[in-house]
Amino acid sequence: MQSQDKYRIALLSAYALALHGFESLLPTPIPWLRLGLANIITLTTLILYGIRAALMVTLIRVVLASLFTGTFLGPAFILSLGGGVISTLSMGIVSSLMPRLFGPVGLSLIGALFHNSAQLFLAYVIFIQRIEAILFISPVIIFLGTLTGSVNGIVSDMLIKNLKKADEKIQN
Amino acid sequence: MNLKGLLNSTTIADRILLFILILLSLSGIIFIKEVLPKGHIVWIEVNGHPVYLLPIEKDRIVSVNGSEGNTIVEIKNHKVRITESPCDNKLCIQQGWIEKGSIVCLPNRVVVIVGTPEDELNKRVDAITG
Repeated sequence: MQSQDKYRIALLSAYALALHGFESLLPTPIPWLRLGLANIITLTTLILYGIRAALMVTLIRVVLASLFTGTFLGPAFILSLGGGVISTLSMGIVSSLMPRLFGPVGLSLIGALFHNSAQLFLAYVIFIQRIEAILFISPVIIFLGTLTGSVNGIVSDMLIKNLKKADEKIQN
Repeated sequence: MNLKGLLNSTTIADRILLFILILLSLSGIIFIKEVLPKGHIVWIEVNGHPVYLLPIEKDRIVSVNGSEGNTIVEIKNHKVRITESPCDNKLCIQQGWIEKGSIVCLPNRVVVIVGTPEDELNKRVDAITG
């Protein structure tokens, strides 16, 4: 890993962490509804710098956020880690297998879907263990995730375009 | 940022995926209630002590021994009624079929409650004073 990559990962992790923290301050109508703003940074990192960088950013964000909020190694941390890693991996695998098929919005939707599925599965295994409760709530969570996922995808798309524009300006 | 630019930046696969996800989750929200069991139970108490905990899905007829004699409780098609009771006024029989709520037969001290298991747990007394 080059030192330039390290700087990039550190900077992107800081952005993701800031968004993660900002998001937890926002009041939401349902306590477990999260906007997944940090996924904007994960997705941007994935598209611009590849899956390894995106995974690093996700891991750093999840671990540091849990240390700051005092949930490290607790149940919320396990949910957050599982959802983050699975969604990053799913987006990375899809974008490397079929690079031209999905744009940022599609990748963000895939990430949101896998994030929610992983969290529902973990919640079932760790806390609830009542399959009917999980089945009941799943479509609601996946629907909300689709909405927030598409918004995050659009924001990522704008961010990527602007970053590329800025890069071109520097090179010219 | 206009709508046209937004449409240009998404691929066809993006839009198909969005459409499928919204369709699946919305139909899931609508239909999952029909598929899942209601989870209601029939809870029969005599003198304040639970004697039967029965699933409402299963049709059956039980006889409950109250303080004056036997009360016959029938469960059928997700509904409950009392068919026979030794009491004088037969209010419990007149109440007919219920899907939720309760039937109380005071003379025979029989209570039939239909609810979710959570209802029964939440109903427990916190404290008794005096």
